Amino acid sequence: MAEASQLFKEFKIQSVSEFFRRNAAMLGYTGKIRSLTTVVHEAVTNSLDACEEAGIAPYIRVEIEELGREHYKVIVEDNGPGIPEKYITHVFGKMLAGTKAHRNIQSRGQQGIGISGAVMFAQITSGKATRVITSTGGDKTIEAWVKIDVDKNEGKIVKKEKHPNPKGWRGTRIELEVKNVRYIRSKQGVYWYLKLTAIANPHAHIELIEPDGKLIVFPRSSEEVPKPPVEMKPHPRGVLTDDVYRMAKKTRRNTVKRFLVGEFSRISDKKIDELIEYIAALRLIKTEGDKNVQEQLYERLMKGEVKAVLRSFRGYTKVVKQVAKIMEKPPEKLTWHEAEEIVEAFKYMKFLAPPTHGLRPIGEENIEKGLRGILKPEFVTAVTRPPKVYSGGIPFQVEVGLAYGGEIPAGFELLRYANRVPLLFDAGSCVTTLAARSIDWKRYKVDDLDRAPVVLMINVISVHVPYTGTGKQSIANVEEIQNEIRLAIMDAARKLQTYLSGKHRKLYQVKRKKTFEKYVPEIARALSILTGEEEDAVKTYFLTFIEGHFKAKESELGEVSENA
Amino acid sequence: MPKSKVVRREKPRERFSYDPTKVLSKLEEYGRRILEDIKSGKNPYFDIPMRGLNNVYFDEKRRVIRMGDKLSRRYFLNVAHARKFMQTLLIMAYVKRLVSEGKHASLREAYYANKHTIPGTKENTFEDQRESDPIIEDLERMLGVLREEMHLTADRRGYIYGDIVIRDGEDEFNTSKLGMGGWAVPGTVEHLQFPEINVDYALVVETAAMADRLIEEKFPKKEKALIIATQGQASRGVRRLIHRLHYEEGLPIIVFTDGDPYGWYIYSTIKQGSINLAYLSDKLATPEARFVGMTMDDIERYGLKNVTEKLKGIPPNKKGGPTGDYKRILEEMEYPWFQNKEWQRQLKMAVKMGVRIEQQALANKSLEFVAKRYLPEKINSGDLLP
Repeated sequence: MAEASQLFKEFKIQSVSEFFRRNAAMLGYTGKIRSLTTVVHEAVTNSLDACEEAGIAPYIRVEIEELGREHYKVIVEDNGPGIPEKYITHVFGKMLAGTKAHRNIQSRGQQGIGISGAVMFAQITSGKATRVITSTGGDKTIEAWVKIDVDKNEGKIVKKEKHPNPKGWRGTRIELEVKNVRYIRSKQGVYWYLKLTAIANPHAHIELIEPDGKLIVFPRSSEEVPKPPVEMKPHPRGVLTDDVYRMAKKTRRNTVKRFLVGEFSRISDKKIDELIEYIAALRLIKTEGDKNVQEQLYERLMKGEVKAVLRSFRGYTKVVKQVAKIMEKPPEKLTWHEAEEIVEAFKYMKFLAPPTHGLRPIGEENIEKGLRGILKPEFVTAVTRPPKVYSGGIPFQVEVGLAYGGEIPAGFELLRYANRVPLLFDAGSCVTTLAARSIDWKRYKVDDLDRAPVVLMINVISVHVPYTGTGKQSIANVEEIQNEIRLAIMDAARKLQTYLSGKHRKLYQVKRKKTFEKYVPEIARALSILTGEEEDAVKTYFLTFIEGHFKAKESELGEVSENA
Repeated sequence: MPKSKVVRREKPRERFSYDPTKVLSKLEEYGRRILEDIKSGKNPYFDIPMRGLNNVYFDEKRRVIRMGDKLSRRYFLNVAHARKFMQTLLIMAYVKRLVSEGKHASLREAYYANKHTIPGTKENTFEDQRESDPIIEDLERMLGVLREEMHLTADRRGYIYGDIVIRDGEDEFNTSKLGMGGWAVPGTVEHLQFPEINVDYALVVETAAMADRLIEEKFPKKEKALIIATQGQASRGVRRLIHRLHYEEGLPIIVFTDGDPYGWYIYSTIKQGSINLAYLSDKLATPEARFVGMTMDDIERYGLKNVTEKLKGIPPNKKGGPTGDYKRILEEMEYPWFQNKEWQRQLKMAVKMGVRIEQQALANKSLEFVAKRYLPEKINSGDLLP
């Protein structure tokens, strides 16, 4: 039998970078087409986020250069704030080191792995460093070649040059050389990805130069740069014991009470009094021997009858006093068990819905602009639902856009987004697909959805989007989310229906009018023969009559649609 | 031996009334009303008496099928009506020209004359004669004016033979001096005048073969009868002619058809009018017409049993019946004008015996039998059905 020390000789600490190098699939690097899209996605997302945080209207240019068989150079350039020299290695070289990781915030990125993952992918497929040219608008531009030291999870700059910046250029340009990828104009490819990104980000101007030199421009259709999302305090319903325990260790507040009130949303001093009662009640219920009685007490607690539950135990005030003491402790003294009790009590208590100021929907107006600008439809509408909560405490919001006709080809198209990021894979299992298919489109005058020129876009926004897998391409079928999506689609579809029926009615009226008008010359000639009246005069009488009739009809229709 | 005439000419009850200016003024009146409506911003329309079974009834007093007073209103500003509204005016204008110019056109000519592509469209004013014919019927009912008075004629059918003189425009002729074929009745008989009539009654004969037989046997001359051959169902011209001869000239009308449901129906149409043309009954029907044969009694009386034919279809007492001829007979038994003892007896007998008998069956006796014995015997003794 081998000695333990022998066995553990081979035991090595694996760095975060090393882990992801071996598990590239978790970052979206699977398949030749998708890998390329992921590289572009990471760079473009970084650019958009940086521009938004700096309040700059993004101008992003993507260039795909074919260097050889399954060998490309990806160039992404933006007009963002640029990266200060000392942060370059951080941004591109270190995994899990982004500015947003571990914050309760709606984000496009993938917990800070994003662009460094792309740098790593370039490095492991082509062996080349990533070239970064950036300037914050000062008198210098920096050109750096970045690699990742996989063992140490650290970025290292292979080569660095400084250039004068006479024109005051500001922005970032990165060039990655990647192999084992392929550029195809498919629904999973770069072109489609950028098109979808442009729709959901109408404030961005996006250009793409394809390998054959073709320039494609998705122009900006809105001047309004969205505000970056803000951090939100966690809602008591959404936290785990571990969250409370660890936050308590880190906090600078001096009592548990102040810690809870200060670092969670929807907890007030009054709620703390209530919390004390609930914890006390739960402690007392656990002392009850009769299982049935215990069950009943839990149920009553769930109904909010906490005072009555407490009163049913003798000497309950003593327990309440004990629990109250916890609240006055310094938070770092909070035990795991106490944290557990707090989280359990949270489950029974009622709280206001979490605040939603951290959610940043695209907005109805901007969705319409995006769809109109890129797809050139005949009709467009959008619905942004008010924020809702799933799993008791995670805020989310749904918005949909619906475009019809115009340059849209026949056939239903669903554009899926999570936090504005296009989802290109796993459409079948996505809650958005299920919701869109569950709608009875015939009710909204769309008789054959699969042949109608309809584009439906769905954006699910949340600080925590429940993806079905590590690929983050499909949203799980959470009942609350599906309901919201359905309501949003139906709302938009109703507007489409109004438009379509109005259009049909108008067409019908025009057709009707023409029906009458075409007979007028015949009628005029006959009546002229019968009565001796001038033919042209008769014609005028009839045409005036028809005109008057349809004018009256039109104003009637106008009133109806205003009322509706 | 002087014949004791049961059937003889009576006093005239109507006067020849055709007046083209009446038609013209009616057309103009309608045109003016439409024009006034449109000028004052009203949706112009025509009120057209409805056609069909729902709008006819049997006038017991006058013993004719008449049209009810149900109207259908045809608007200009109605997608479903506009085309017909236009067509109506087109035909009206056409009729005005025909009548004022004193010309006649057939229904088919009227169709072709008014058919053309509407400028700026791929649509024709009329696509089919089936569109123009009903419009003409509508006009008849709307204006209360015969198609013939509007100078629109149908194909001619039927002929007459007998000692009467007809003035047709500039021509005057005796219909017994035109050869054995007699004189073909035109589509329009409105303008005909009868300066001389030397017959006691008119015998309306269903088949041309029988009419020819009677002429060959010199029946018209011997019996002082006018032969009118309908050649099947009587055309409007023939029915109008019968009506005029009866009411304007006082000629009794006697109808001679096959003894079968179709023959009786021909008789019924001459006498009471038809559902289709109920609005014209006052001008086409002759309720005083009487029926000479063939009757079911004739079979027995003249021993014609061996020349009868079986009725077609299934009798009412058999499974699946009644169908075919039986069904028609039972329907006719329900007609108000067949609600009398004699006719009910005849029709019941037909069903019971399950036979029909043709006029020509009389030839079984001899070629001369019908002219020398059958008809003179029955007519002169007044042995006629109502």
